[in-house]
Amino acid sequence: MNDASHGLEFAQTQVARASLDHCVKCTICETHCPVSAVTPKFTGPKFVGPQAERFRHGESVDHSLDYCSSCGACTLNCPQGVQIAELNSQARAVMKADHMPLRDRLVSSTTLMGTLMTPVAPLANAALSIKPLRTVVEKVIGIHRDAPMPKANTQTITGWLKKRKKPATPASRGTVVFFHGCAGGYFEVETSKKSIEVLEHLGYEVLVPRQGCCGLAQQSNGLFDQASDKVLKLCDELRAAGKDLTIVSASGSCTGMLKHEAHEIMGVDDDRLKDVGTRIRDIMEFLLELYEEGDLPTDFAEVPLTTVYHAPCQLKSQGMGQPALEILKLIPGVEAVESGATCCGIAGTYGLKAEKYDVAQAVGKPLFDKVRDVNPEFALCDTETCRWQMRKGTGATVEHPIFVVHQAYGLS
Amino acid sequence: MQRVVVIGAGVAGLVAAIRLARGGARVALLTKGTGGLQLSQGTVDILGYSPDRVERPLDALAGFAGSHPGHPYAQLDAAEVGAAADYLKELVGPGLLVGDPAVNLQLPTAVGAVRPTALASPSMTAGACVDGAKFVIVGLSRLKDFYPELVAQNLNRTELPGGGRLSARGVTIDVVAREGEVDSSGLTFARALDDSGYRRRFAQAVKAVVEPGETVGLPAVLGLDDHGAWAELAELIGAEVFEIPLPPPSVPGMRLNRTLTQLAKDAGVRYVPGSRVGGFSASGGRVDSVQLGVAGGPRDFRADAFLLATGGFESGSLHADSYHQVHEIVFDLPLRVPEGALVHGDYWGEAQPLFTVGVETDERMRVRTPRGDVVYDNVYAAGGILAGATRWQEKSGEGIALASAVKAADAILAAAESTTSQGVAS
Repeated sequence: MNDASHGLEFAQTQVARASLDHCVKCTICETHCPVSAVTPKFTGPKFVGPQAERFRHGESVDHSLDYCSSCGACTLNCPQGVQIAELNSQARAVMKADHMPLRDRLVSSTTLMGTLMTPVAPLANAALSIKPLRTVVEKVIGIHRDAPMPKANTQTITGWLKKRKKPATPASRGTVVFFHGCAGGYFEVETSKKSIEVLEHLGYEVLVPRQGCCGLAQQSNGLFDQASDKVLKLCDELRAAGKDLTIVSASGSCTGMLKHEAHEIMGVDDDRLKDVGTRIRDIMEFLLELYEEGDLPTDFAEVPLTTVYHAPCQLKSQGMGQPALEILKLIPGVEAVESGATCCGIAGTYGLKAEKYDVAQAVGKPLFDKVRDVNPEFALCDTETCRWQMRKGTGATVEHPIFVVHQAYGLS
Repeated sequence: MQRVVVIGAGVAGLVAAIRLARGGARVALLTKGTGGLQLSQGTVDILGYSPDRVERPLDALAGFAGSHPGHPYAQLDAAEVGAAADYLKELVGPGLLVGDPAVNLQLPTAVGAVRPTALASPSMTAGACVDGAKFVIVGLSRLKDFYPELVAQNLNRTELPGGGRLSARGVTIDVVAREGEVDSSGLTFARALDDSGYRRRFAQAVKAVVEPGETVGLPAVLGLDDHGAWAELAELIGAEVFEIPLPPPSVPGMRLNRTLTQLAKDAGVRYVPGSRVGGFSASGGRVDSVQLGVAGGPRDFRADAFLLATGGFESGSLHADSYHQVHEIVFDLPLRVPEGALVHGDYWGEAQPLFTVGVETDERMRVRTPRGDVVYDNVYAAGGILAGATRWQEKSGEGIALASAVKAADAILAAAESTTSQGVAS
């Protein structure tokens, strides 16, 4: 490529490649891959990763690479530290660079979707449920007619913040910054509200600066330039709220983008990202850290609830275990059953795509079955697109675990 | 409540974590990735060669320890090793492990050698290599990791450990594991065989090539999550069946690993995969915390005790620099290093001295210097990190791992008990 941008140049030449020599061909990654488990179209993380990478010189030698969903289960489970998922995301971006589908540009424009849909929420929701219209969209653009779509809200998080009353608890513990992400701003607004209310209940002043998108969807679609611009702009916005403040988020995968993916996959090497990436905490991780320090009030009311808890792949890939499970254990009455599923299938925008929809549904099937077995009405999961996939796949109400914490503190 | 951090999720780390959690400790299990148990053959070796083939491993241990003074078995007696193997057997149940730790089974490998091991999956024991046995080894043309003719021919030419010979023939059948795939992994076959409909079709194809009186040897792919799949296949085929372990992905190893990992979680262990321990802080002769390098920066894990179960050199727990200086990567612990060159050039020759490098421990499995001083009061070690063994040649890996893990876990629980009874901590 003659006009390789920084991100793509990095992808072709950089860091993750160095880790491939640590591969001992033990196949542990292959046994964790949820995609190759359900389709022969993907030859598996070891084959397209550390093996095929040795033969790449610009051109990719194995186009089944496009079927990698970037769930990160391979990297998470590699005992030798090979960055398999990162290698594959980079190689895919290079492979797609000269023929990026319009569809992939569209589905990754998350704030655009939110901005357009919120003012006309009832209309947008109705339009997205019209079958013939979705069929046309599938034929023309390649977004599957049955793929889960977010439900537009009439109120954004910004709208709510403007209108609501002042918090009841005085801010005795200092200040945190809340990062809601696009989905938490436009679609999963309730999760953001409850997160803010729990933080305020604990005694934090919560600042919510004006904020854009982290660029994750563009990154996973290989649009590295756009994604790098977005993530740095977001860092500026979050930093503007205050220096050295802890940033808390209920958007599991966007948090992962800031913590490691922007740096490790796209090579964004910028002090602003480093600053935000080291200050940010997933909200359940934040609560668990408080608990480990003895600073989390555990005067939880009983919540009679047996439910599947599904930790999204991009939360697990942050290498911190499943903090929500530890917090849920503290709430009397709650029995949270770990889903045991690697991934729900959606993997950001992967499961929306017409050619990958069936694969994504097959990946999600063990999770859907588990929800039906344990509690067909209700399930818990930390990220937005996964909740849409699970709701669509099971018909259950699926919410962020903060809902249960909110209730156990008597806030709902 | 006593807090314990276990580092490493191989068989030693998993078993110790379960025992600690069931004993009342709050356990975090930190592991870079999936542990080595998944790569194992789904069997438990205690002692296979000393250097001659061992028939009764527990009986042989005392003599072995006498002739190997620096070996982990010099600190783990036969009763402890036997009890630890039985502990694992009880944990996973008879659906996954059977046998007597005191007696070695002699089972065929995927190249047709006869391998001594103490406990095995019940799906393997019909393959015991005894005089007069009559095997048909059935391969799958779409599975490239298993060559039935090789297995059969090598078994045929082998004078059996107990004396006598067996007869074996190889045959290959073609059963599709997954449409659209001509080259399927053992795991793909195992997942297919979890389905009872597929099992029936598979059994029919095998049955067609079995002659009366033959015991059927198949690659170890007979079901992943359904631990009874092999038994149902045997019934459908109408003959005794045994599994022969393959190179990774090893399905019997996966069954054990998944079962133990789930048992650990069920016992309340916080399982944290995917990050490396990159530092620690210590004061007053004790380690206070380790730092786990999660995405976004290091996080402190404080605990009352730390169990190092990171495995040997092959697991990356030890690092050799270009001068052949070897370092332990978590606590930079003092190591016992043999004199002279650590690696010799004779690939097929004597064991490489490098692989005996490891840590020494006191009688409570606390790490000590080669001079005998305890390094940190609350740092324990178990499994492959222990100095002095060449596990794969001795076939001693699981026996060392289990006995040291159980001993370390019990010592950690006992230490908490004694501080509690002194009223120092709760």
